[in-house]
Order: sequence, then structure tokens, then C-alpha cells
Amino acid sequence: MAQFNLPQNSKIEVGNYFKDKTNSKNIKKVNVYRWDPSTGKNPRVDTFEVDMNNCGPKVLDILIKIKNEIDPSLTFRRSCAHGVCGSCAMNIDGINGLACIKSHTDITGDLNVYPLPHLKVVKDLIGDLTTLYKQYESIQPWLKVDQTGEEKIELKQSQKDREKLDGYYECILCACCSTSCPSYWWNGDKYLGPAVLLQAYRWINDSRDGDKKERLKKVADELKLYRCHTIMNCTNSCPKGLNPAKAIGSIKKMLATS
Amino acid sequence: MQNNNPLSPHLQVYKWQISSLLSITHRIVGVINFIAITIICFWSVSLLLGQTSYQFIQTFLNSIFGKFLVISLCWTFSFHILNEVRHLFWDAGYGFDLKIAKITGVITLFGSFVLTILFYILGRHIF
Repeated sequence: MAQFNLPQNSKIEVGNYFKDKTNSKNIKKVNVYRWDPSTGKNPRVDTFEVDMNNCGPKVLDILIKIKNEIDPSLTFRRSCAHGVCGSCAMNIDGINGLACIKSHTDITGDLNVYPLPHLKVVKDLIGDLTTLYKQYESIQPWLKVDQTGEEKIELKQSQKDREKLDGYYECILCACCSTSCPSYWWNGDKYLGPAVLLQAYRWINDSRDGDKKERLKKVADELKLYRCHTIMNCTNSCPKGLNPAKAIGSIKKMLATS
Repeated sequence: MQNNNPLSPHLQVYKWQISSLLSITHRIVGVINFIAITIICFWSVSLLLGQTSYQFIQTFLNSIFGKFLVISLCWTFSFHILNEVRHLFWDAGYGFDLKIAKITGVITLFGSFVLTILFYILGRHIF
């Protein structure tokens, strides 16, 4: 049975309030989820007053400004800052997304930043994605061909077949979709989740792959696949505008018609 | 990963989307319908007990609470039917586009109320 409440050690407490020291007139209040493994205390939500006159347009800019100027202990992942690497995926204003491409002007009122939902927190805004990566490994995300490697024959793909991968190969595995899915929250250990299933479909759908049947058989499982109830939180949250719900629907359809 | 690491908030912080709202409503309404159908079956069987039991249920259903119950059930069934049609289209591979899914969601929600009124009025005039 799914546990809807947070466990005792995860209950969020009221944290510190960092008042603005610059006397700026353009202030945004930013509430950030904090948890420090070294203190042994419960997580808390700190509030920062940020001077928006001297801040970049994206949520990531705000976080970097807080880390640089207000509290250097704030911890989050980030790398490319252009929506390509998927490191800064977090829950912004109630919806998962990439902090680097989410503009703070889209959000009215206070800005709430939490780690990706229903993950074990490593520190502050960093969630533990080990299970997701293991599940990704389980679908064997590489080309499987009968060639031994000796032949050295180029694997050709027509333009039409290549187009079938559009909307699937762009996935950056930021985990926004999987961690937005209530089904994945309750059954994350067994259900593969939208991100991994979209990847599974990407390999099933690749004309060069020689293992389509085996891949389909592997994923056809009450828990692995059919825990998807088309809630569509995944598609709603994908920062790359992809459609995991459709990919999962396509796998289901393939299984029903093959 | 040590077990004392906290779990990040999920239901507590995640914003409701029309799609997720309809999905959970679909489930709840499904359970209600299941119970309602069972009760309706018992009701039909209770007709065998004769006129008095029929009249008892008749007066109950015509009371304010009874009417509220009937109208609510009209809605739960209408909603479930319409959302199930949406699911049928999804199963056939159509309507996954985010915009279309949102539009069909809104249609389902409003349609369920329209259908409720239709069911209720039709039911009243026929029976």
C-alpha cells in the first residue's frame, strides 16, 4: 500500500529567514528545501530574500546567486545551464523542470524550490537516482545486432526509419518525468517509470536493432509497464517537450497487436 | 544509501494537473460505481419481497438525501463513461498530445455534468 504521508524523519520544519541586505526594492522570496546529512535534524525550508535587480532571468541564476552571496552551503546539481545535461532537474513551483531553462518571471508570488519528488535526499536539492539508473541499465540501452564485429559492416538506416526516433532520442534522462509520476512514487522499485520506458521504446523502435521481440517480451510485465495509468504528469513536466505517455501507449499498443 | 535520509516531498508539493485530477477521480468514481451497482442489484432482488419494501425504497429515493444520492450516482456513471472513452482512444494510440489531452479532459469534466442532467431528466420522464 502506498504511503501518502511523509515518514517522521522527512517532515519539513520551518527554517531560517535570510533578510535582504542590499535594500533592494525588487525582492523575490525564494523558499528552498534544505537538508544537511551532518546535523541529523529534519529537513527544513529556508526563505531567502533575493534582490532581483541584480539577478539573471532563470531559476538557476537565483540559486547560484543565493549560493554566491547569501548561503554558500546551499547544495544543488548543475552543469551546462542550457537545458541539455539534465543535472538541475528539481521541483519548481510544484512542477518538475530544469532550473536552468525555467524563467522566474513565469512564477507569480514566492518561488518554491524542492528536490525531485519521492526520492531519498542526499543533500538539499539533490535526490538519489540510483534506482532509476539501475532500471535504465535493465532495459539494455544499446544496439543489439547479430554481427560479431568481425564483419565491419555499416548499419544503415533510411531517413524514414530515422525519423521514427524523433521525439524519443532527445531524452536527456533528467528524471523530471519519472519523479512526477504518482505510479512511480508508489511502485518505484518495480515499475520502470516514464523515463526508462521512453528509452525502452526508443530501442524497440530502432530499425537497426535486432532484438525487438526480446525487448518487448522483457518489458511486458504487470508491474514494469502496466502500472502506467496515463496520468500524464510525465508529459506535463518534460522540459524537452517529449511525450513519455505516448511512448508507453505505443509499447502497450505494440504488445496488444503483435 | 542509508535509511535515515529523508524522503523528498511528493503529494505535499506537486501541483495538480487536470490530467492527474481526472485520473484519480476516475479511480475513486470507479470504486463508488462498483459499490453502487452491487446495491442496485440487491435493490432489484428486494422487489421480490413485495410492495412494502418497494414503497419504502421509493419514498427513500424521493427524499432530499435520496435525490442527492441518485443525482450523484448519475454523475459518477457519466464521468466514468466519458473518461473511459478517453482511455479507449489512448489505448488505440490517439490523443496523447498534451494539448489534445487537456482539451479532452475539460470536455470529459463538463460533459459529465451535461450527461448527468440528461440522465436525470430522461430518467424522470421515462420512469
